[in-house]
Amino acid sequence: MRINPWSAVLLLGVPVAFLFIFFIVPFGTVAVASFRMPADGGWSAANYVKIATDGYYWGALYLTFKIALWVTLLVLVVGYPLAYTITYNVRSTLLRRIIYIVIVTPLFTSSIVRAFGWLVLLGRKGMVNDTLVALDFVDKPVQILFTEGGIVIGMAYIMLPFMVLTVASILQNINTSLLEAARDLGAHPIVAFLKVTFPLSLPGVIAGSLIVFTLSVSAYVTPSILSGGKKTVMSMLIYQQYAATLNFPFGATLAVALLVSTLLLIAGYLLVIERHAKG
Amino acid sequence: MRLSDSLGRASLSGISILALIFLAFPLLVVIGISFTTTEYLRFPPVGLTWKWYARFFHDTSFVESLFTSAKLALSATAGALLLGVPAGLVLARKRFPGRQAISALFLSPLVLPTIVLGVAILQYASTMGFARTFWALFVGHVVLVMPYVMRTTLASLSGFDIAQEEAAQDLGATPLQTFFLVTLPQIKPGVIAGALFAFIISWIDVEVAVFNSTPELITIPVKMFNYIQFNVDPIIAAVSAITIYVAIVAVLLIDVTVGIEKATTRRE
Repeated sequence: MRINPWSAVLLLGVPVAFLFIFFIVPFGTVAVASFRMPADGGWSAANYVKIATDGYYWGALYLTFKIALWVTLLVLVVGYPLAYTITYNVRSTLLRRIIYIVIVTPLFTSSIVRAFGWLVLLGRKGMVNDTLVALDFVDKPVQILFTEGGIVIGMAYIMLPFMVLTVASILQNINTSLLEAARDLGAHPIVAFLKVTFPLSLPGVIAGSLIVFTLSVSAYVTPSILSGGKKTVMSMLIYQQYAATLNFPFGATLAVALLVSTLLLIAGYLLVIERHAKG
Repeated sequence: MRLSDSLGRASLSGISILALIFLAFPLLVVIGISFTTTEYLRFPPVGLTWKWYARFFHDTSFVESLFTSAKLALSATAGALLLGVPAGLVLARKRFPGRQAISALFLSPLVLPTIVLGVAILQYASTMGFARTFWALFVGHVVLVMPYVMRTTLASLSGFDIAQEEAAQDLGATPLQTFFLVTLPQIKPGVIAGALFAFIISWIDVEVAVFNSTPELITIPVKMFNYIQFNVDPIIAAVSAITIYVAIVAVLLIDVTVGIEKATTRRE
């Protein structure tokens, strides 16, 4: 469509102005506030010094990234086969639709509801423990709830649809004739997968793991419900500062620290991948 | 080779079935508990009763937050559509420097931690004097859901035959007529899918709303989140089940309008 320049400026300008006022400026406000002192409102980097020198915050940051990493790995291991199966092995359109509905419905449900489901399942008298005992894997119910493992299970549940949908998007677009050629030339199915399909699907794996990792790092609801207050991740510390302690500047510093360290880790990850791609 | 082929396929199917059970089961558990006659959480449920739903609908504070959530999700979706669709149109049809950067700006709330958006809106609104009001929730949610509208709108516009718009304009249609009579009918499925995504993202959000709520102004997920810290009873299962029913309706609506597979994956 031909749009005259003035209308274009208006049609694009208003939304951009909206995002500037209610998105860029608020993020800027947080960044600025992180250099303020709560006591007298003066300028200082003391909040950053406090985080950098206190092992407690390093511990929370470490736990945040550790959980996010386990979630990403778990979701990849479970999600890739599912994405592969629905893309290549499910022929019936109706079945595919049903499978997609099963994958997307949890995504459309609040993380509260999903964490609540796991709260019931993972408890001492929950179904998971009952099953483990009945199958003789353990003698008596084990503590899963309020442990790191419990948080990882609950978060992996939340993140699985993102990985499946991202990987399936890439798998759909792979030219299957390449795979057929490999098979025709006598490649074993596993070899064909490892040499052809998997390398071509790597962009999906990379994009999916980035989405899952970023979302896991900033997840608040799931860890706070499934930790029972016994484990502390960064988002819970940020929440405390803003909602309980009401120390906005220090909360802002924690938020900036989380944001910057996440971006640094992602940049490092992408750098390593690029090196590998070249070498 | 045949054997290993079918073995591989069987184990793939096995993992996939387990993964699908993993996805569906917690939701089924929540729905199951909401019908139990016991006073405590129990799965499988004992008996069958609607009393927890009745209790929910008799608790005005729960019903009010249901309305707050619906009002917020509808208005945030409308706001994101009114801002996002025109912007998408310009980004798809005009070539100008900085176009890529502006597209990235519209999509960036997607990759930034939602909890940081929540505190940013709270802190900004406190400075500007509208903290913990409906407006703070509204602007926060418009920013939050904008990427979903933008993504599907841009995708539908890029797969669109521009010649039709040009023909309409050559025949004397105004840009407005062209948009409503030619462009919109064709990008409608994508816009509807984007709008449904936007609605649901706002509907289930906790991270932005939790910082901008008051006891009177509270969305249903935040209400549930606060409730769950102190009480765990089957009412919460009934509320949860209601939100699951809403999710299922939204997913089915997307499936009917654009197809769930097309709306959630990207085919080139």
